[in-house]
Amino acid sequence: MTSVHPPPVPGRELSNPPTDGISNLRFSNHSDNLLVSSWDKTVRLYDASANVLRGEFMHGGPVLDCCFHDDSSGFSASADNKVRRIMFSHGKEEILGRHDAPVRCIEYSYAAGQVITGSWDKTLKCWDPRGASGQERTLVGTYPQPERVYSLSLVGNRLVVATAGRHVNVYDLRNMSQPEQRRESSLKYQTRCVRCYPNGTGYALSSVEGRVAMEFFDLSEASQAKKYGTFATGGCDGFVNVWDGNNKKRLYQYSKYPTSVAALSFSRDGRLLAVASSYTFEEGDKAHEPDAIFVRSVNEIEVKPKPKYMGSE
Amino acid sequence: MSTQRIDPLVQVETTCRALLNELQIIWEEVGETDADRDEMLLELERECVEVYRRKVDQANHSKAHIRQTIADSEAELAAICSAMGERPVHIRQSDQNIGSLKEELRKILSQVEEMKKRKEERRNHFIDVLDQIEMIRNEINGSTESVSSETVVDETETDLSLMRLEELHRQLHELLKEKSNRLKQVQEHLNTLNSLCSVMGMDFKLTATEVHPSLGDSEGSRSISNNTLEQLGIEINKLREVKIQRMERLQDLATTMLELWNLMDTPIEEQQKFQNVTCNVAASEHEITEPNTLSDDFINYVEEEVSRLEDLKSSKMKEIILKKRAELKEISTKTHLIPDTQLEDAIEAIDSGVVDAATILEQIELQIAKVKEEAFSRKEILEKVEKWLAACEEESWLEEYNRDENRYNAGRGTHLTLKRAEKARSLVNKLPGRVEALTSKIMAWEEERGSEFLYDGTPVLSMLEDYANLREEKEQERRRLRDQKRLQGQLIAEQEVLYGAKQSPPKPQSAKKGSKQCTGVPSTKKVALGGPMLQARKLDSVNSPRISQTRSNKKTEFMLQNDAIPASPAFKRGQDIADAPFRKHPSNGVNANEIESQLKTIPTNDPSNNTMTPLKTISSVDEENRKPKAMHSTASVQMQTDITPPPTLQTSLVEETHEEMEQSFEEKRLALMHSDKQIPSMIQV
Repeated sequence: MTSVHPPPVPGRELSNPPTDGISNLRFSNHSDNLLVSSWDKTVRLYDASANVLRGEFMHGGPVLDCCFHDDSSGFSASADNKVRRIMFSHGKEEILGRHDAPVRCIEYSYAAGQVITGSWDKTLKCWDPRGASGQERTLVGTYPQPERVYSLSLVGNRLVVATAGRHVNVYDLRNMSQPEQRRESSLKYQTRCVRCYPNGTGYALSSVEGRVAMEFFDLSEASQAKKYGTFATGGCDGFVNVWDGNNKKRLYQYSKYPTSVAALSFSRDGRLLAVASSYTFEEGDKAHEPDAIFVRSVNEIEVKPKPKYMGSE
Repeated sequence: MSTQRIDPLVQVETTCRALLNELQIIWEEVGETDADRDEMLLELERECVEVYRRKVDQANHSKAHIRQTIADSEAELAAICSAMGERPVHIRQSDQNIGSLKEELRKILSQVEEMKKRKEERRNHFIDVLDQIEMIRNEINGSTESVSSETVVDETETDLSLMRLEELHRQLHELLKEKSNRLKQVQEHLNTLNSLCSVMGMDFKLTATEVHPSLGDSEGSRSISNNTLEQLGIEINKLREVKIQRMERLQDLATTMLELWNLMDTPIEEQQKFQNVTCNVAASEHEITEPNTLSDDFINYVEEEVSRLEDLKSSKMKEIILKKRAELKEISTKTHLIPDTQLEDAIEAIDSGVVDAATILEQIELQIAKVKEEAFSRKEILEKVEKWLAACEEESWLEEYNRDENRYNAGRGTHLTLKRAEKARSLVNKLPGRVEALTSKIMAWEEERGSEFLYDGTPVLSMLEDYANLREEKEQERRRLRDQKRLQGQLIAEQEVLYGAKQSPPKPQSAKKGSKQCTGVPSTKKVALGGPMLQARKLDSVNSPRISQTRSNKKTEFMLQNDAIPASPAFKRGQDIADAPFRKHPSNGVNANEIESQLKTIPTNDPSNNTMTPLKTISSVDEENRKPKAMHSTASVQMQTDITPPPTLQTSLVEETHEEMEQSFEEKRLALMHSDKQIPSMIQV
């Protein structure tokens, strides 16, 4: 299935990429370490700036999501229904707990000190990773959702959960007994991804149609949103676009990647952008380009909003 | 002359004189001078003196020796006497001149001898006593090393007094007492041990020997050492604890057994077998003394019996549970309630031991009571529902009957069917009223109970609504056909006017057609409706005003066509109307639309729907015909009232996803992975 060498894409391609589709990738908050989860049942840890594979961790099934705890450990969500903690330095992983169906997303909340997982068994579970292994000790709570969880995102004490059927639940991590807000996606199509703004005022929601909706937790915020407000989106068309949320304009488009952009992650200082170019099966099973990870540096000019008129902002 | 007894001294003197004479003679012969003779005689005298002196010295020495010996002996005697604590017998008096020294010596020596003998005796006594004491002490201390005998001996040298001997005798006596006490103690302990061992079926000899080898032997001396006594005490306590443990265990078992007997009414004969166990149920430890009542074997035997009883109990319980389950099922089915699957699962799980039979029994009883109560409250409404269902059957029968061309022909049983038709018609006439009454009753019931009234799992209100909607549809259909016919009739009339009379329009055909299209296939199964279908129908009524209003509309419609084609609604099944020409894919389209609109929680409150009531019914019909296949007379109407024209992509996408559930890319990918894995395994097989 090798094709002619594609035209050079911006960014350096990481060596030893996963051998099957990439489900997600994340930069660490403390370094340029990049954690990559894949359908080839592994989670890999790379040093993105040095382009070195630092570790590879086998799982019992395709890994659908991963996240860092700190530079010595991380967590993974797998299609074999298990939630795992991965200890990079020891080179091994252990099972933190399990769901009744594949675990689709996983996040670690520094505010609550808990791991949060969403699964296709229509539940959200919170885990305390400091407990000993074994579900009885680590499971803090199980919160039923209206439908299978497709995506979740955290900022501060807020958790946003997007499920099938276009439901969106917003929780306050300090009181998980019921959602703070029960909403519905304003987009007409199936929710693909949800991400909270770093400033904690709201979240962005994307759908399989290709649209992005910008929502705010508190409606009065909508009028006050300012600051950078830029974000990057990657689509199955192979392009990565950078948008200005306030002005609702596209700021920049990077050159086309070989195949669908499965995941994006900015490094902690925003200097680097990791792009997972990996076919996401939106058109079923078909021949596709090999899965690759590209790390490119980000110029300020690409991500800073263009002023409307001189002298503003 | 006494020359026989010649005094040796005289003899010696005579010998001396003779010798002197001889000497004189010799000297004479020799011619010694007088001076020499005198000197020699002097020397002779001197030598004699020397000899005398020597003898005297010797005698003196021996006298001194004797004296010394006497003194020594006296000292020895004194020493011995003091050692023995007695006053010295012989006190030397200086002025006493009892006899010669030798005599004194003899006396003293004999005294010394005697004392020595006595001392020896005394000493032996002491040694004897001390030995005994030591022996007993060793026995008591449990050590084999002898107390240092040197000190004893030393002491023995210095103090052999009777007092001390008495003292030692006293000690010995005490020790002997102690020893006998201990022996008694040991014996007591051994007795206790024996009793404990016999009660618990343990080997006494073995246990005793374990504590100390000498204890197992019934003859022979037993150890009485501190250690032994301590060990015995410990062993006894240990065994006593074991006994208490076993006793408690047995008492627990006995209590359980009594409970189980009580629960299961065990016959007396069986109970008698364990009389000896149950009689001790409340006994305290020291009351249990019969041998083997607490042995391992016996306890196991009782345990087995208890476990057998418990098995019996659980199997009986299971029987009861199964019986109750059947009862529950019966009651539920009678009142057309669907039994709780959770309970069913729990019952299945009894064998696995996960769930407790007693709890399940409780739950079942509760459930039965609940269901009974619910059945009671449902009774009235249920009767009405069944009457309604029967009426619907009659209705559909009537429809079919009406389609039968030959119904008025005379034949066997025709009069019966005529009668039935008559009854059916009147029934059908009363139906709307009944339905309304039933609906309001059910609503009141639901309000009171706070839950839906279900009939075999389906909420009756929605069934009624469906029925109402169906009737409405039928009405609309009929009206439309009538209009169509009217128009056609007009057209033909016009044509007739223009061109002369033509063939009469195929009236019966269209009528038939119309009625055919209005009716559905009479369903034998009355109440089989899927959930989503009902939901879809429900949404319709959400859009339209409340049922009562619909009812009134329908009433007016109904009255208009009293004589016309009889209303013939029937239960519409999803695929029943497939043959109708302008309802190509109604169900899918309808469902897709309504499911999608259901997903949007924003209700599609289209104003056009609500404003024009006469047009309302028509427009809802059109709404259902989603595919814009042209409907001649109603095309214009459709355009006016088309509510949400979604892009085709959406419908196809949604319809597609309606066929399977909504799935994300990852779910599809995972499903593919799994099916890929299965295929190779199938091939391998």
